[in-house]
Amino acid sequence: MSLTIAVFIQGIVVLALAPLVTGLVRWFKARLQGRHGAAPWLVYFTLLTTLKKENVISESRSWVFRCVPFVVLGIALFLSLTLPIVFPSGGIPQVDLFVLAGVLALSSVFLVLGGLDAATAFGGMGASREMTIAALIEPTTLITFATFASVAGSSSLQDIFGNGITVISHPALLLSFVALVLIVLAENARYPVDNPATHLELTMVHEAMVLEYSGPYLAMLEYASSIKLTVFLLILGNLVGAGLLTTVVIGSFALALFESTIAKMRFFRMQEYMSIAFFLALAGLILIFII
Amino acid sequence: MTYQQISQLLPSNANARGDETHCQVEPSEFSALVEKLHLGLGLPLSLVYGTDNRKELGTFGVHAVLSIDEEAKWIVISTSVSSESPAYPSLTTTMMASHWYERYLQDMFGIVAEGHPDPRRLVHHENIPEGTHPLRKDFAWNTKLDHAQVPYPMHHVQGEGIYEIPVGPIHAGIIEPGHFRFNVAGERIITLEGKLFFTHKGVEKLLEGKTPTEALPFIERLSGDMAASHTLAFCQAIEKISGVSVPSRANAIRVALCELERITMHIHDLANIAGMGTGYTLMAANGFRIKERLIRLSQDILGNRFWRGAIVPGGVTRDWSKEESDLIDRVVTEAVKEMQELIKMAMQSDGLRERLETSGVLKHDAAIAYGAVGLPARASGVMRDVRSHHPYAGYPEVSWKIVSAVSGDVYARYRCRIDELDISLRILQEALHLHQDTPVAVDVQLQDGSALGAVESWRGEILTAVHLKEGKVERCMPRDPSFCNWALFAELGPGNIVPDFPLCNKSLNLSYSGTDM
Repeated sequence: MSLTIAVFIQGIVVLALAPLVTGLVRWFKARLQGRHGAAPWLVYFTLLTTLKKENVISESRSWVFRCVPFVVLGIALFLSLTLPIVFPSGGIPQVDLFVLAGVLALSSVFLVLGGLDAATAFGGMGASREMTIAALIEPTTLITFATFASVAGSSSLQDIFGNGITVISHPALLLSFVALVLIVLAENARYPVDNPATHLELTMVHEAMVLEYSGPYLAMLEYASSIKLTVFLLILGNLVGAGLLTTVVIGSFALALFESTIAKMRFFRMQEYMSIAFFLALAGLILIFII
Repeated sequence: MTYQQISQLLPSNANARGDETHCQVEPSEFSALVEKLHLGLGLPLSLVYGTDNRKELGTFGVHAVLSIDEEAKWIVISTSVSSESPAYPSLTTTMMASHWYERYLQDMFGIVAEGHPDPRRLVHHENIPEGTHPLRKDFAWNTKLDHAQVPYPMHHVQGEGIYEIPVGPIHAGIIEPGHFRFNVAGERIITLEGKLFFTHKGVEKLLEGKTPTEALPFIERLSGDMAASHTLAFCQAIEKISGVSVPSRANAIRVALCELERITMHIHDLANIAGMGTGYTLMAANGFRIKERLIRLSQDILGNRFWRGAIVPGGVTRDWSKEESDLIDRVVTEAVKEMQELIKMAMQSDGLRERLETSGVLKHDAAIAYGAVGLPARASGVMRDVRSHHPYAGYPEVSWKIVSAVSGDVYARYRCRIDELDISLRILQEALHLHQDTPVAVDVQLQDGSALGAVESWRGEILTAVHLKEGKVERCMPRDPSFCNWALFAELGPGNIVPDFPLCNKSLNLSYSGTDM
């Protein structure tokens, strides 16, 4: 299959699927909690409605504020087009894992700048929390990626999947996989790090940073989070060798189940969560040299 | 310390009326006497309120109410301050419990508490012109005020890395308006201050000149979730003034109504604290569903969703039939049992317990100093409950016990609610079947005078002071428990981190409307 067609098809699939994944997680959560729940496809309509709404922009902001939604959505698009997620075994351009880590960090940095730019108390609060989390999660991300790269003998995701590497290929990857799940939860502002459904200004992380955005900009940022969640779910799915639909359904269900059974962690215990992730990742890396 | 011994400390003009002892002192001796009783003997300072007696006596009255819990008695110490320059030495210089009351007096009557450590405005915001004192008799309730710009400074902390978070008055959730100002270092709260009274409705002013029957709907709507308790406190004061004794069946139904209210709101709080406060959303989704059943029960029995409209001066509007009692018993028992199952499951979650424990600690000493009331006080080891210390309605007839804890954190308050839920159910079941098929109301021949009505609502002690004159309300101060407890935030907030504040807030669940009046 030619590169262009593969990228095109993958882009369409991921972009079309992303709101559904968010909707499915919400729907499963509602069902698990005994609520009727909104239809999983409601997210499409919400995005369209938000897109049509007026853009209310604070007067005390700079050009950064306007630029953030484009950068964040751009990065989400980049991820959806360049990672081997729909066609794991080939057809997608080579992306180095460390480029991926860098791009993710760039997205965080811009979200933080967006939060800070309007100079509201909540934006600053969310930004400071996001930076704390990002700083704690970064080393774990790099070590986890390094472990996968060592097993595959290449730091390109395409080679990893192309060589048929899954979690069971090497004992070290089992540990790294768990670390990766913890990273994915933190990266996507999910429990126990952040509460995606919170209405409480004082507890928000991701939502606090995007609090000043409205209308089309808000739609872009929300769409970007949906895409990011979908991309990560698909990567995890590929690592356990599950197909696209299985991943979407089982993945959203597992996430909903997880979020329904626990309480959000106290913010000052976050370092324990991050330490667990870090040492799992580190143990994985060491294991490669032992075995 | 017995009442006999305490009464020797009171001036010679002290006279006892039922469970209240009234005495009059000079403004200069006022503070010293209250201090002797409150700090010296440890009598809780339950209320400080003002009256405008300029027409009759040419003075303003300031009244301090203290409670002798052991003997179910109240002591009311009054003083008269001149109408030209109304001032008296402040109680707050030594007694924390009076700090809001005196700021309230200053705004509403223009009575100055000299030496008050924090003489800022309380009820009036920036827009109210200087010299506006709405509870003075010569202030018409429909006065249109000019817009003013009077500073209302809030506390600031300065230093490197300290920043301020203003929250509200409009919040992200569906709650009432209140402004909170956090000074934080990173996530750690250094100071926390609230600015309330955004929904000031002038209820006290509107009550004046109304007959008790006309006043009742205002009292019932003071704070939506404690309609029955507020009404009961008001009716008890009216009945005390008029020397009416309420039939036993009416007292039993009054107990049932207050306990129904308590059960409804405890279920709400248990769901809200665990569900919305910590993000353990399963509890919220199911707890609110269970609470809705009780609200619908109110709709079925009373025709409204807030346990309103049943309690009237002299008794209750109508008796409940055997079928209705059985229906209430069945619905509530089922709801409580289901909630208890949920709580059992929730309490096994380490993550949830971890969030609740050690958050928002209210120390025992602080609870006493601030004059905290109700469940938050009991969770900090203050063993006070109006139901046992000033027994009213049918409570002496039912068996129950006071619930308390010592740790004073969110978990202690959560545990107390769990225990009270169980006890409330048993009180309700007993009260429903007491004195069935006997009269439920007597006629009230209104007399002149003043009295206090006290009720332990689910939120804490309601103390309503009523002055009647020629069958009309001359002055009525329905003091909501929230008025005493709002200031606790300044005490239990600092030291916690900002993301845990909503949890502390929900564990107190105070009323904005009841405070703002």
